[in-house]
Amino acid sequence: MNVPYRWLQDLVPLDLSPEDIARRMTMAGLEAEKIQRIGAEWDKVYVAEVTKVTPHPDADRLVLAEVDAVDHQLTVVTGAPNIAEGQKVALALAGARLVDAYADELKYKTLKPGTIRGVRSEGMVCSEKELGISEEHEGILVLEPEAPKGMPLQEYLGDAVIEFEITPNLVHAFSILGIAREAAAIVSTRVHQPEVADISSIEPSTNLVRVDAPDLCARYSAIVMDGVNVAPSPAWMTRRLTAAGLRPVNNLVDITNYVMLELGQPLHAFDLRNVSGEKIIVRRAYDSEVIETLDHVKRTLGPGDLLITDAEKAIALAGVMGGVNSEVTDDTTSILLESANFDMVSVRQTARRLKLRTDASARFERGLDPELAWQANVRAAQMVMDLCPGATVRTWDDEYPRPVEPWTVSLPLSKIALVLGMEIPKETVLDVLSRLGFAPTIDSHDTLTVQVPTWRSDVTIAEDVIEEVARIVGYEALPATLITGETPAVERDPMFMLERDIRKTLIGAGGYEGRTYVTVSERDIERWSLKPTGGLTYAVTGDNLLRLKNPINAEQPLLRTSLVPALISAVADNLKHQKTVRLFETGHVFIGTGADTLPSEPTLLGLAWAGFREPFDRFNAHPDANDQIDFFDVKGAIEAVLDRTGIAEAVWEAGNHSALHPGRTARVTINDETLGIVGEVRPDLARGLGVSDYRLVIAELDLSTVLPLRQDASSPSIKVDRFLPVEQDFAVIVDKGTTAAAVEDALRGNAGPLLTRIVLFDVFEGEQIGEGKRSLAYRLTFTAPDRAMSDAELGKVRKKIERGLKSQVNGSLRT
Amino acid sequence: MTETQHGLAQDIENLRRRAMTEMEVLSDAAAASDWEKEYLGGKGAVTALLRGLGGLPAEERPAAGRATQALRNELIESFAPIRGRLDAQALQQRLGSDAVDVTLPGRVPTIGGAHPISSMIDELVEIFALLGFQAVFGPEVETGRYNFDLLNIPADHPARDVWDTIIVDSPSEMVLRTHTSPMQARTMERTEPPVRVIVPGRAFRFEAQDASHEWMFTQLEGLAVDKHITLADLKGVLQEMARQLFGPERQVRFRCDFFPFVEPGVDFAVDCAICNGKGCRVCKHTGWLEIGGAGMVHPKVLSGVGYDPEQYTGFAFGLGIERLIMMKYGVDDARAFAGNDLRFLRRFASTGL
Repeated sequence: MNVPYRWLQDLVPLDLSPEDIARRMTMAGLEAEKIQRIGAEWDKVYVAEVTKVTPHPDADRLVLAEVDAVDHQLTVVTGAPNIAEGQKVALALAGARLVDAYADELKYKTLKPGTIRGVRSEGMVCSEKELGISEEHEGILVLEPEAPKGMPLQEYLGDAVIEFEITPNLVHAFSILGIAREAAAIVSTRVHQPEVADISSIEPSTNLVRVDAPDLCARYSAIVMDGVNVAPSPAWMTRRLTAAGLRPVNNLVDITNYVMLELGQPLHAFDLRNVSGEKIIVRRAYDSEVIETLDHVKRTLGPGDLLITDAEKAIALAGVMGGVNSEVTDDTTSILLESANFDMVSVRQTARRLKLRTDASARFERGLDPELAWQANVRAAQMVMDLCPGATVRTWDDEYPRPVEPWTVSLPLSKIALVLGMEIPKETVLDVLSRLGFAPTIDSHDTLTVQVPTWRSDVTIAEDVIEEVARIVGYEALPATLITGETPAVERDPMFMLERDIRKTLIGAGGYEGRTYVTVSERDIERWSLKPTGGLTYAVTGDNLLRLKNPINAEQPLLRTSLVPALISAVADNLKHQKTVRLFETGHVFIGTGADTLPSEPTLLGLAWAGFREPFDRFNAHPDANDQIDFFDVKGAIEAVLDRTGIAEAVWEAGNHSALHPGRTARVTINDETLGIVGEVRPDLARGLGVSDYRLVIAELDLSTVLPLRQDASSPSIKVDRFLPVEQDFAVIVDKGTTAAAVEDALRGNAGPLLTRIVLFDVFEGEQIGEGKRSLAYRLTFTAPDRAMSDAELGKVRKKIERGLKSQVNGSLRT
Repeated sequence: MTETQHGLAQDIENLRRRAMTEMEVLSDAAAASDWEKEYLGGKGAVTALLRGLGGLPAEERPAAGRATQALRNELIESFAPIRGRLDAQALQQRLGSDAVDVTLPGRVPTIGGAHPISSMIDELVEIFALLGFQAVFGPEVETGRYNFDLLNIPADHPARDVWDTIIVDSPSEMVLRTHTSPMQARTMERTEPPVRVIVPGRAFRFEAQDASHEWMFTQLEGLAVDKHITLADLKGVLQEMARQLFGPERQVRFRCDFFPFVEPGVDFAVDCAICNGKGCRVCKHTGWLEIGGAGMVHPKVLSGVGYDPEQYTGFAFGLGIERLIMMKYGVDDARAFAGNDLRFLRRFASTGL
C-alpha cells in the first residue's frame, strides 16, 4: 500500500523523516518496502502567479505569459490551452531538470532559455508530466489559489510515498488511518480522526435496505444524497490519489476511493436514478444470473456470489465491483452511498473465481471491522458536502443484522516472560497496549485482561497480545539465550548419510554434483520411463505418473521418475564449453500410488558422463581422441560407490533398455533385486540429445534399495594383517562368449577363504590363443591371518582353481 | 714350490695385473659394474679361481686359498675408492640431468566437487547437531493438510496467497510443498516433546524466475518444542548459527513479521559480514542481510498435532539455503543453482565450502 507522507501527517503529527518512520514501522511489523520521493528533481521550480496573458505576435497557438514568482519575474512563451491570468502555476527556470514530455521513455532534460518564434522565453510553465507527477500533458498544472507565490515547488508539493507491504493479518493497517494509528503507537502520540458528517437529525428510512443474506453481509449502510454535481476533483485530492496509485475519475468516485484509502473501507456510489424503487436488496445470486460490471464484462454468477440489487435488477457485485447499469455519470444529481461489510470468504471466492481482484475485494477478503462501515459512510457524506456545495443528505439506512460482539483476551501477566524470555514491566505493558487502542487492565492476581478494539480482529489469543507488546517495546530488546533443559540425543538420518558418503566417493572419482529440476517432459517419460519398453529404475504407466496443474515450464508438466533425462541435458549444455563432463545427482523421484495417497518418493543416484578421460597429458592441451569416457568408467564409478557403501555381493549382468546401446548396458543386482543400471546411450539418440562427439554414458542406482543392504563399516572387527599378502596371477583362456563375471565367479568359488582381492589386469585376444578364444588375466591376492603361506599351500590352491576353471567355464590356464 | 703351485701363482699374478690395469682405466659407473661382475661377481674370474682350488691336492689348498683370498681382498680394497668415485660421479650426472623446471604444474588428481547446496546443508546439519537438533527429511509432494491446514493457513484465507503454489493434478489436494514447514506437524505427530529438529530440503513456488527468484529452492526449517522455550532462545540459537557460519562477531536482528504458523512472528537478519554492518552494496546499504522467517509456534499448530499449548511452547524458523550461499560467496544469480554449469560448480569445489 502506498502512503503519501503528507497525507499521513494530516492524521498523525510526526516530526520524524519518512525514512525514520519507515524504519521504525518496519521493525514493528509493517514493512516499508521502499520510499519514493515526489519532487526530488524540482530544483529551480517555483510557485508563480500568471499576471498577464497576451497573444504571441507571430503564432496563433502560442501566448506570452507574464509570471511572478516574487524573486523571479519573467515572460514565458507557452502553448498551454488552459493558461489564464490569476492562476497559480509551476514555473521552471533555466537549469531546472524536467521530464521530457515527448520522449517515449522516462527521460530528463535540463531547461535552457530559448527563443520561440522571435520571442525570448526565460522559463517554462510546467505540465504534470513535465514534473513527473502524472502522464497529464494536455495543459499546465494549475495550483490552488492559496499556493504561496515564490515558494519552491518542492516545499509546496514535494512528498515521499512510503510503500508498505500489508501482510494478510494487517487488515487494521490497510489504510492511511490504520498506518497513522500504528505510527502514533510507535512514537507515542495520538491520531486526528477525519471529520465526519453528523446526520443524526436526519430521518432514517428503514425500508431503504433489506439484507436477505445476513450470513454474507453483516452490515449494510446507505446514505442518499441530493444536489450533487459531478466534476473533476480538486488538485489536492487528485494528487493524493495519484500518489497512492489510483487514477482520479470524478469527484464522487474519487471520494469513495479517497475514503477507502483513508479508512480502509471500500465504498460505492450508485446513481440514484438507476436504483429502481430506491431500494437496496442484498441477496445471493441466482444460478447463472448475469451482471455487467464496471469494466464492461458480463459475468455469470451462482448462489455462492453475493449481489446488490434494486427492486428489479442486480446493480453491483458485492465487495468486488459495481454494475455498469448504475454507475455515476456526468449528469448524476442524486446518489446512494454504500458502505457495507461483506463476508471475507465469499468475496474472496467470487473474486478468485472471476479473476477479478480489486482494491475493494483485497480489503474485504482480509475481514473488515463492521463498525467501520458506518464511520466511512458519514466520512464520505461529509466529503461530498465539502466538494459539492449544495449537496444534502436526504435519508439513510443502516441494516446491521450481525453486530460485532466486543471481545477480550485474558492471560496471566507472567506468560509474557514465558513466551518472550524477557520481563516487561507492568506499566510498560499497560502503556503500550493503550497506545495501540486496547483497553488493558491488570487485576490483583496479575491477570492481564485486554479489551480489543473491533478493528483488531487479528488479536484473539494471549500470544497475539504478547506480540503486540513485544513489537512496540521492540524485538531489539530481546536477549539471546540458549535453550535450557535436556539436549535430546541426535541421531543421523541413514539416507542422508548414504547420500553424503556416495557424494564423497564420486567427488573422489572426479564427479561434480548437479541439481536438476524435478519436472520432466512427456518425451522424457516416454523415452526413459514408460512401460512397456521399460524404465531405467522405475517403469511407470499413465496411472502412476504425476502431472502438475500449473507447471512453471509448460513443456515439463510431469514429475520426474528418473534423474537421467535432466542430467543428460546438463551434460549436453556443458559440452559446449567443456571437454569432460562428469555429473551426478541424488534426489527424489515420484511414483504415484493412488488418488488419495501421496506418491512414493524413492531416492535415486543418477550419473551422466561424457568427454575425454581426465587427466589429460598435463603438457599436452590436446587430449588423445581415443581416450574417451566409456561404459567402463561409469561402471567403475558405480562399483566404487557400491564398494564404499559396503555392498559386497552385487552381481553384474548384461542389461537392456530401449534408449541404451544393446551391447554396452548392464544391470547390477543383488539377490535378484535390481540395484541399478549402467549403459551408453544409443549413438543416434545421444546425437539427438546434443552429444554427438563422445560416448554418452549414464547410470542410475536406487538408493532406497541400496540403503537396507548397506553394511556398516564398523560392524566386522578390522585387523591389520601381520603377514605379507601373496599374489598369484591366472591368465584364463575361455571361449569369447564366456563373461568375465562367470570367470571371476569360478576363481572366487575355488580360491578358498584366504582370497582377499581379485583384480582383472589384462584382456587379450589373438592367434596365439586360438580363434574364438580370449584370455582374461587376473591377479589374486591371498592373505592368511596367522601365517606366511607356504609354496605347497599355494600350489594346492592353484590346482583347485585350475580344476574349477576347467569344469565351470571350460577355461584353461595360459602358460 | 710345486709346478702346480707355481702355475697357480702365475695365474693369480696374471689375473691381478689384468684386473688392476683394467681397474685403473674405468671411466664410469657402468664400466665399474661390468668390471666388478667380471672379477668379483658370482661367476667372475676370482670366484672361478676359488672354485678351482678344490681340484688341488689337499696339502696345497690352504696356501692357494690364502693367495687367492689375498688377491680378492686386494682387488676389493683397490676397487672400493674407484667405485666410490665413479658412483659419486654418476650421481652428480644424474642429479644434473634429472633437474626439472619445478614451476611446471604438478600432476593433479581428478577430483570433482559437491554442489554448494549440499555443502551448505552439511555445514548447517553439523552446526545444529551441536545444539541438539536432529536433521529429518520429508516428502516433496505434500497434502494440503500438512502444507497448509495444520500450519494454521486455512483454505479461503488470504494468507494462502503468500505461497504461490504448484498444484499436483489429483482428486485430493496435493501440492509441491511450498516450504519445509509441513515437517513441523509430521515430526510432532510422531514424537513427544522435547523436540529439536531441522529439516533441510527442496521447496517449490509458482514464481517467475529471475536473478533473485527460483521456483525450486532449498530451505532449512528448524523446530524446538519443550517446556520453557522462549523467543529469546530462538534469538540465541540463530545467533549461534550466524556466528558459526559467518564469524564470531555476527549479530542477529529480529523484527516483527507475520507468518500464520507462528505468534509472535519474526523476520531475522544478520549484520552484514562484508561491511561489518556499516552498509555496502551486498546489504544494499542497510547493514543487515535478511535470512528468513521465524517465531513462536502458534498454539493452533501445537494443538493441531495434539500437544497442549498450555504446557509447551516452541519456536520455529525457516531460512533459504541459496540465500545463505549467495550472501556468503557473493553469488548474484539464483538460477545458477540449478544451472549445472561446471564453471559455476568448480568455483565451490575450490573454495573449501
